[in-house]
Amino acid sequence: MSSIVSQPVFGVLSQALDVAALKQAVHTANIANAGVPGYHRLDVSFDAQMQRASDEMTAADGSESWPSGGGPRVVRAADETVRLDKEMALMAKDAARYQTLLSAFEHTVGLMQMAIKEGREG
Amino acid sequence: MSMFGILDISAAGMDVQQARLEAAAANLANAQTTGQAGAVYQPLTVVVHSVLGKGAGATDNLSADSLPRPAVTGTAELDVPPRLVYDPGHPDADARGFVSMPGVDPIASMLDLISISRSYEANLRAFDVTRTLMQRTLDMSNHR
Repeated sequence: MSSIVSQPVFGVLSQALDVAALKQAVHTANIANAGVPGYHRLDVSFDAQMQRASDEMTAADGSESWPSGGGPRVVRAADETVRLDKEMALMAKDAARYQTLLSAFEHTVGLMQMAIKEGREG
Repeated sequence: MSMFGILDISAAGMDVQQARLEAAAANLANAQTTGQAGAVYQPLTVVVHSVLGKGAGATDNLSADSLPRPAVTGTAELDVPPRLVYDPGHPDADARGFVSMPGVDPIASMLDLISISRSYEANLRAFDVTRTLMQRTLDMSNHR
């Protein structure tokens, strides 16, 4: 029997939040190491990871583990040098994405609570 | 993975900019000092390397705690010849009347200061964004 708390949407959302948090870490590292000789810009492939995760969610039994490739990965970016202005813009974009995911999480919990209270307010 | 580890990376970045600022300030402050030939102040530069955080394994499997962060590995003296200024009355003047002053390039130092300031700001901004995200995550558990 599928329980309300084991809905796949929670798994997808929390994994997406993990990836978004890792993205923030990688942007931070790129900004901190900008201009250091020999540093190669890092990146996380967010969209590819989410696509793989969501494929597995919808195809299988809603299991909440990462696909066989492992968790989100930090990879070397295609462009080697860090451009500070571009990195700041990307960080702002991914921070907005993180907050969007948090809102989605809050709304999902809100719906659950509405169901628990049988639609009554308060 | 801990978001506190991300704050450490920004802090490391700000530490490095602080060290660069100290070197640039020392170079500018000592630009007009004199010395007997060969004994003048040598302009300083900081050597910065990227080091992986604790528990780092392969490069393609990094977490927030093991991402590379910059670290000052040392301070080095720049190998620049002293600037010779003709001032025969000066107590440090040599036999031909020239005084040795450090080979500090004031324009390059000012450009360094701008770059340091921008980098510090960027690190501070990254710190602030991380803090906001952490705060919002905590708020989520309070609202309901």
